[in-house]
Amino acid sequence: MTRTDSASGLRPDDALAHDLEAARAHEVPPADLCLRIARAHAARGETTEALAWLAAVPRAADSFVAWQGATRLLGQVGGEAAGARRTARVAVLGTYTTDQLTPMLGLALHALGVRADLYDAGFDQLQQELLDPESGLRAFGPTHIVLAVHEGAARLPELGDDPADEVAREAARWRGLWDRAGARVVQHAFALRPDPPLGHLGLRVPGARQTMLAALNAALGEAAGDDVLLVDCDRLAGAWGKDRWFDDRYWFLAKQAVALDALPLLARHTAAVVAADLGLTRKCLVLDLDNTLWGGVVGEDGLGGLRLGDGAEGEAYVAFQERILALKRKGIVLAVASKNDEAEALRVFDEHPAMRIRREDIACFAANWDTKVDNLRLIADTLGLGLDALVYVDDNPAEREIVRRFLPEVDVLPLPSDPARYVRALSEYLLFETTTLRREDAARTEHYRARAQAAERRLELGDLDDFLRDLEMTATIAPFDEVRLPRIAQLVGKTNQFNLTTRRHSLETIRGFMAEPDTVTLFLELRDRFADHGLVGVLVARRDGDALEIDTWLLSCRVIGRTAEHAMLAELAARAEALGIARLRGTYVPTERNGIVRELYGTLGFERTGDATWEYDLAANGRPASDFVTVDG
Amino acid sequence: MDSHARLEEIFRSVLGDGSIALTDDTRAAELPGWDSLAHINAMFAVENEFGVEFPGDEFARLETIGDLKAALAEKGAG
Repeated sequence: MTRTDSASGLRPDDALAHDLEAARAHEVPPADLCLRIARAHAARGETTEALAWLAAVPRAADSFVAWQGATRLLGQVGGEAAGARRTARVAVLGTYTTDQLTPMLGLALHALGVRADLYDAGFDQLQQELLDPESGLRAFGPTHIVLAVHEGAARLPELGDDPADEVAREAARWRGLWDRAGARVVQHAFALRPDPPLGHLGLRVPGARQTMLAALNAALGEAAGDDVLLVDCDRLAGAWGKDRWFDDRYWFLAKQAVALDALPLLARHTAAVVAADLGLTRKCLVLDLDNTLWGGVVGEDGLGGLRLGDGAEGEAYVAFQERILALKRKGIVLAVASKNDEAEALRVFDEHPAMRIRREDIACFAANWDTKVDNLRLIADTLGLGLDALVYVDDNPAEREIVRRFLPEVDVLPLPSDPARYVRALSEYLLFETTTLRREDAARTEHYRARAQAAERRLELGDLDDFLRDLEMTATIAPFDEVRLPRIAQLVGKTNQFNLTTRRHSLETIRGFMAEPDTVTLFLELRDRFADHGLVGVLVARRDGDALEIDTWLLSCRVIGRTAEHAMLAELAARAEALGIARLRGTYVPTERNGIVRELYGTLGFERTGDATWEYDLAANGRPASDFVTVDG
Repeated sequence: MDSHARLEEIFRSVLGDGSIALTDDTRAAELPGWDSLAHINAMFAVENEFGVEFPGDEFARLETIGDLKAALAEKGAG
């Protein structure tokens, strides 16, 4: 496993500051680091902070050591319900040693916002505790009873003469135990061993124990109905690797039926099922579009340039869309929050032949140039949901960071960089676990859509200065050169949205600008904490009498909203002064696509001098400021 | 993180005491809170973290942290 540098050797306060700084560098800080920070806060008596960092451990990794430390610390600092979204009293009745599982379940529930009181009945007390009216279980008074079983506890022979009867009788025994529960039962279904004695033959022998166990799981599922919750342990064990899940050494040594380092996974999934029962299922999946639902940027690449449908990458996006639709079918509402031109984004939904998700699948469609924070608020408000009902998915780590920072109630799904892994990432998100599947659930989107149409209203823009500052943006702004000329010509040729004049100069024409003595050419390369965006801005300004006239000015849509235009304008002003020019003039040439910059010059402090012309007087107004982008070179 | 620091973190986590500082002379059995459960948890954690196995009662027979380190070194994992 990877580990972060130890901060030992520093004074405790310095070590905490050091660790907090280290955590900041990660989108999901490592588990051992979260634990160390939690310990440091706990040592200072800062319970709230300690609890918050403990909740970060299960989100980081299924590390046995980190979970051990976190469960012990949770036991020491826990006890306050403050901040928890739900409370529960959870009893664990096991057929194997559950001393480790039970506190891990508490930690996993804590991470999902559930403050749980826990009761562990001890090794193999399951039946006794359920049947005895004087048992510790009864005194505890659980809301949920987890039946943590292993396959050895199923009363089935190695080879059954009448397998159907054997299975029916064993299923009836478990149903009888459920009837005694007096609380919501969470039944672990049986994980099947990887080493059945009959080998492949077993599959053809209905009386083989392995075959009967599979039938027993199915029978329990059928019997469970809406009353009993199941955890599909055979699936978890398979995904984990059954060779390691079943570790006979620890069974013989300590009656451990599940490998200790698989317990965090089992605890998280059990917790998710309990959380769903407590109504904590997230109701709405909010989707980014470009490079999330399809490959490419529709504003730059156009409908035909998107990678969707054909090729490995295109197929991966289709598979992701189909998985999203499967969520919709089980009642999760879909919404879109995308920095895009609305008409252009909708055209992909309506016209792209490979799109699986259609316009009518989306309950609330927010494609505009506002921040994601505003749009998520808008979506929650429009759909009548709390922010804590939303899950946001975006390929862009900077957008994810802004949402985490300003809307901590929203769950943010970190997408891997390869779209081929999107489906897995989505399936591993546990708060889409639901307890029932009904036709009404699938109809939920329609309900919310109707609601959204009735509530067309905008929300106030929040103050995002902190976020912009925190991005630590740096830019290189300099005159065009031969190396960058092809990229510059490409942007001039295809940028539609943030483009003041949309003049499609050829590469040769642009090269001509570079040679003109009174012409300022500037490109912008932008970097931030998360990404190097490359060359994303282009500006050409030519002398016209006593003014410098902006012939061309554009930004790639991937950096819109980052205030990069301020940095470019400041640089242009400096260069105008060097040429002895005191006035800047700009023109807005409207097209179907560039409405976003209609008021740009006004926003930047220019005065309107005509229908579409604006001027900036450097002598009177001074050099324009750029607060958030540091310019180097 | 070196193997001493990794062992220290294992014992801190298993015993729920972030202030534990190990030396080669530390006897696991004398650490506060040490019991059979802590023993199993520590043994599993060491095996898991260092990619080794302690067959039979080998782990139980290691008395000090120094002994444990020597055993790990012998298994090529120290």
